[in-house]
Amino acid sequence: MISNILISDPTLRDGSHAVSHQLNAHQIASYTAAADAAGIPIVEVGHGNGLGASSLQIGESLLDDTTILKIARENLIHSKLGIHVMPGIATINKDLKKALSMGVDVFRVACHCTEADITQRHISFIRNKGKEVYGVLMMNHMAPKDVLVEEAYKMQSYGADGVLLYDSAGASIPSDVKEKIELLVKSLEIQVGYHAHNNLGLAIANSITAVQAGATILDGTVRGFGAGAGNAQLEVLVPVLEKMGYSTGVDFYKLLDLSDFAERELMKVVPSIKPDSVCSALAGIFSGFSKHVQRISKEYGVDSRDVWFELGRRKIVAGQEDIIIEVAVKLAAEGGKGQ
Amino acid sequence: MKSEHRDMIYKDCEQVTANSVHLLSALRGQCILITGGTGFVGTWLAEMITFLNDNHDFNTQLILLSGRANNFSAKAPHLADRNDITLIESDIRNVVDIPNEVEWIIHAAGNPDNRLHASDPLRTIQVIVKGTDTILEVATRLPDLKKFLNISSGLVYGSQPWELETIPESFMGSLNCDSIRSAYAEAKRMGETLCAVYRNQHRLPVVNARPFAFIGPYQLLDRPWAINNFIRDSLLGGPIRILGDGETVRSYMYPSDMAWWLLRILVQGTVGASYNVGSPHGVTLQKLAKKIAGHSPVKSEILSGLSSDRSLGRSKFIPDVRLAKNALDLCINVDLDSAIKRTIVWNRNYC
Repeated sequence: MISNILISDPTLRDGSHAVSHQLNAHQIASYTAAADAAGIPIVEVGHGNGLGASSLQIGESLLDDTTILKIARENLIHSKLGIHVMPGIATINKDLKKALSMGVDVFRVACHCTEADITQRHISFIRNKGKEVYGVLMMNHMAPKDVLVEEAYKMQSYGADGVLLYDSAGASIPSDVKEKIELLVKSLEIQVGYHAHNNLGLAIANSITAVQAGATILDGTVRGFGAGAGNAQLEVLVPVLEKMGYSTGVDFYKLLDLSDFAERELMKVVPSIKPDSVCSALAGIFSGFSKHVQRISKEYGVDSRDVWFELGRRKIVAGQEDIIIEVAVKLAAEGGKGQ
Repeated sequence: MKSEHRDMIYKDCEQVTANSVHLLSALRGQCILITGGTGFVGTWLAEMITFLNDNHDFNTQLILLSGRANNFSAKAPHLADRNDITLIESDIRNVVDIPNEVEWIIHAAGNPDNRLHASDPLRTIQVIVKGTDTILEVATRLPDLKKFLNISSGLVYGSQPWELETIPESFMGSLNCDSIRSAYAEAKRMGETLCAVYRNQHRLPVVNARPFAFIGPYQLLDRPWAINNFIRDSLLGGPIRILGDGETVRSYMYPSDMAWWLLRILVQGTVGASYNVGSPHGVTLQKLAKKIAGHSPVKSEILSGLSSDRSLGRSKFIPDVRLAKNALDLCINVDLDSAIKRTIVWNRNYC
């Protein structure tokens, strides 16, 4: 029997990181309309860090959430409209109620992989409105499989339709994916999914491994458009899945056209695996730090690779960007050399 | 509370007590203390006792002890304002003394919401274990305690083996004690052990009830259980989403049956015994969703979260209630379809 894999496309959301959240109305409208025509089940939009994240600290979006959601909603007829939500950045009253009223279909409520407790109110609120809501454990490489199961179980108990592991730093290798997804599938009563990043060139391999381990939801972006080295390349992921006997419901030719369009219209540079991406993955640091690390390293005259590995030693996560400066100052004081 | 809701509760109580009121005669003129008295179980017990007072001159006094007693007026003003009900606001863990006139205790404190168990397993354990120990200790000082009913949980059995049709009270259980998912169930097991110890060391007349799953008035639709979510989804216009395996089997008892069974176990249950409380009639989640869609005033589509070739987490949770039936002649008065219909009527303004 053919198994269905639910494909979610965060090109416009994760790719937002790659263009400093500067996607314009025409780009969003054109992309969502074409993705809808290609039969992509879920299209995620918004600031790279999700709803309510546009700010001086995290990065200001060219368009506000309301405008982005309105454009996307108008152009997504068959595809579901998805958004990324991080409690602490997005609030129920200010952001979730607005998103619900604007017709968002699918909510991804995300937290650091050991902090599922903070998702309870958001997941329960959305679930009680009858909408699809998924729990997301970001930076999953930072927790062992047993801890991930306990955190995922919390999300299940809050009412999540499924739980996804995000390899936010692109730090995972297939054996990690296999053991973690297998245990989640075995332990939970809801669907399990995977969101890969390509820092080590393993995004497709990790996604396929996840499916073989029992995952039923995969994320992919066209041309891999996303933070750092990008995500699993959707126009590769879909045919590979189909070749392996899975069904996605996505129109292959239209997907290829979509990816050409996106390269031409959305991207200044197509994501590639740069030395910076490899270092961030090996250090286990979120790729979204990349621009900050490059800028600060240059400013303080230190080797960005040393900065990455010192950040990794300190297990820094999103929201702790200020520590990049602290690390750069320390390395500069030591003569610009890391450990 | 709306008069139609009060009428519904009245008819529910009337149905389950018909021709059987004499079986609770031991409670006439007595004083009953209920811990967790303003929760789902406590509220239904209060409805049943006040029904007996109003319609059968029971003259029974109720003391509802709860950490949220002050909110009871908003939830059930028709109960909170009565002369035969006294509210005491207290954390069960901190109870020092209870009135000497208490002759019966129903210990129903402990939140069954598994969101709380997942987020705060330590508090879950402390409320159940320390709370049970505290109320048992206090009970030893009562001069005329006739019976102590400990409301445990069907979850003390752990996972029901798929090949086991229903769980009898003698089933030894299959809990994994080193998992945070076992916090509630293990605490309930410890609660039962504490009851056994107090029964032995202090000769307390303790009996256990092990409730399974319920659906009906006073149960909030935001609770994270399948039937609550299905009814809520249907009232919101659907779709009804089955998150896990549609072949998972559950059974549901209507709360007026629950309240009647608990009072009967309180009065006639054998000291030291444990009784399952729930419906023995299993239903798959797929069939349950269809029933709800059929009874709902809003047409609802049913969606399954899993592909048809997957069977994740397929489970079963159905009590064997032959002990309650054979020893106490207890039966199911409200079938599942009626329970669903009444629950929909109760919640039809949900949004």
